[in-house]
Amino acid sequence: MIRLSRHHTERIAFSVIGLAAVATAVPIIVIVGSIFFSGAEAVSWQFLLEMPRDGMRSGGIWPAIIGTVYLVVGTGLISIPLGIASAIYLSEYATDSYWTRMIRLAIVNLAGIPSVVYGLFGLGLFVLFLDLGSSIVAACLTLSIMTIPVIISTAEEALRSVPQSFRVVSVGMGATRWQTIRRVVLPQALPGILTGVILGLNRAAGETAPILFTGAAFFLPKLPNSIFDQTMALPYHLFVISTQVPEMPITIQYGTATVLITFVLTMNILAASVRSWQRRKREW
Amino acid sequence: MFDNPKIRINELSVEYDDGTQALSDVCLDIPKNAITALFGPAGGGKSTLLRTLNRLNDLLDVSISGEVILDDINIFDRNVDVISLRRRVGIVFAQPIPLPFSIRKNITYGLELAGERRRAKLDDAVEGSLRSSALWDEVKDRLNDSATALSGGQQQRLCIARVLALAPEVLLLDEPTSGLDPISTAKVESSLQILKQDYTVVIAPSSIQQTARIADLAVFMLQGELVEWGRGKDLFSAPREKQTEEYITGRFG
Repeated sequence: MIRLSRHHTERIAFSVIGLAAVATAVPIIVIVGSIFFSGAEAVSWQFLLEMPRDGMRSGGIWPAIIGTVYLVVGTGLISIPLGIASAIYLSEYATDSYWTRMIRLAIVNLAGIPSVVYGLFGLGLFVLFLDLGSSIVAACLTLSIMTIPVIISTAEEALRSVPQSFRVVSVGMGATRWQTIRRVVLPQALPGILTGVILGLNRAAGETAPILFTGAAFFLPKLPNSIFDQTMALPYHLFVISTQVPEMPITIQYGTATVLITFVLTMNILAASVRSWQRRKREW
Repeated sequence: MFDNPKIRINELSVEYDDGTQALSDVCLDIPKNAITALFGPAGGGKSTLLRTLNRLNDLLDVSISGEVILDDINIFDRNVDVISLRRRVGIVFAQPIPLPFSIRKNITYGLELAGERRRAKLDDAVEGSLRSSALWDEVKDRLNDSATALSGGQQQRLCIARVLALAPEVLLLDEPTSGLDPISTAKVESSLQILKQDYTVVIAPSSIQQTARIADLAVFMLQGELVEWGRGKDLFSAPREKQTEEYITGRFG
C-alpha cells in the first residue's frame, strides 16, 4: 500500500472538498443562467404589465405577478405577528416543560411536511370546513401555516443569541420583562428576525402545491376584487403554461420562469444583505 | 459599631434549586453613608448576597428565608414593588456590560423606563452621573458614540454612572474593578469615596488589598456564612477569628 505524505493527503482532501463546493454551485448557476438566457427576450414592460391574451399564448403575466404579491403580503400579515409572538414566548417567557417541548416538536415537524400536505390540509380546513371557498384568504392562511415554523425557529434563534447579560442589566435597572424585550432584546434580534421573515415569505412566494386547491386560479380574465376571490399566481401560472396549455410559445414559459426566479432571488439577496448588515452592526 | 443602619439583614438563607446552600443564617447591619465591603474566597456567597439585596435573584430559581429590611420595609414582602426596589438599590456587575446603545442612551435608559421624557432632566442626569463616576471629561464630546467602543475602565465607570442616574439610595458593586487596570481601578475607588457621602455602598471588592483600602465596614464571608465583621482598619490589624487571619495573611483563598 502506498503511504501518502501528510502534505499530499492535505492537498487531496482540499481538492475533494473544493470539488464538492463547485458541484453544489454549478447546477444553480446553470439553471438560473439558462433560464435567464432563454427568458430575457420575452421579458418587457408589456409582458410584465399586460393581461394574458389568446388563451395565455400571448400578452403578459400581470395578474400572476399581482396575485403573488397579494399572497405574499397576506401571508406576511398573518404569519409575521404570529410567528414573532410565538418566538418571543418560547425564547423569553416559556419554561422548559412538557408543553413547550411539544410545541417545539410540532414546529420542527411542521417544517418537514411536504407542501402538498399543507395544500390538502388548507382545502379541508379553510376552503371546505370554514367555508372560505377557494380564495386569496384561504391560500394565505394555508401558506401561513407553512411559513410560521420558519419564522418561529429563526426568530427564536435570533432572540436567544442576544446575550443574557443584557437582560440582567436591564432588569437590574428597573425594567420590566416586557420593557427589556421591547427596548433591548427585540432591536438586537431584529435583523435575524427579518432574515427569517424574508426566507419564510420567499418560500410562500415560490410554492405551488399549497395554493393549488386553496386559492390559485387556472386563468382569470380580470384581477381579483376582494380577498374572497381566487387569484392567479406566478408559480401556478408557470405550472399551467408549461404543462396544461397546448402550443404554448416557449419564450413565454421562460419569461415567466425568469420573473419568478428574479422575484425569489431578489428576496434571497435581501435576506443575505440584512444578515451581513446585522453582523457589521453587532456590537458584542 | 455603626448606629445608622440602612439595611438590616436577619437570618437570611438562600438556597439555589440545585441544592447549593449559598447563604446560611446571615445577620448583618449595613450602615448608611459608608462602604461595606464583603470579602472572602470565591464561593463565599458575596455575589448571592448582593443580588439578594435588590432581588435580582428572582430571575433564578432560589428559595429565600429570613428578612432584609430596607429602611422600614422587608423587601421580600408580597406588596413590595420589585421595580421600584431595584431603582432604590442599584447594582454594578463585575463585567462592565454596556447596553448596545450610545453612551448617552445607556444613562437615560433607566430614567426613560420610569417615564422621564424631559430633555433637560435627562441631560442633567447624564452630566451629573458621568461627573460622579469620573467619566465626564473623557466622553463629554462623544455622548452619542456607541458605548461599546469605550475602554474596559471607561465602560465600568459608565455602568456605575447609569446606576447613579437613577438616584438610588444603595449602590451594590460586585467586583467592579476585576477587569480593570490599576489606573482605572484607582479612579473607581476614589469616586466611591465621594459617592459614599450620598449613598450607602455595598461592595464585593476584587482583592483583599482593595478591601483594606476602601472598607469602612469589612465583612469576611466563607462558604455562605459571615465569619467576622468589623471596622476596616480594626479587622485587618487584629482579626478575632483564626480563619479571617489565615485568609488575610494569604494562607488560603
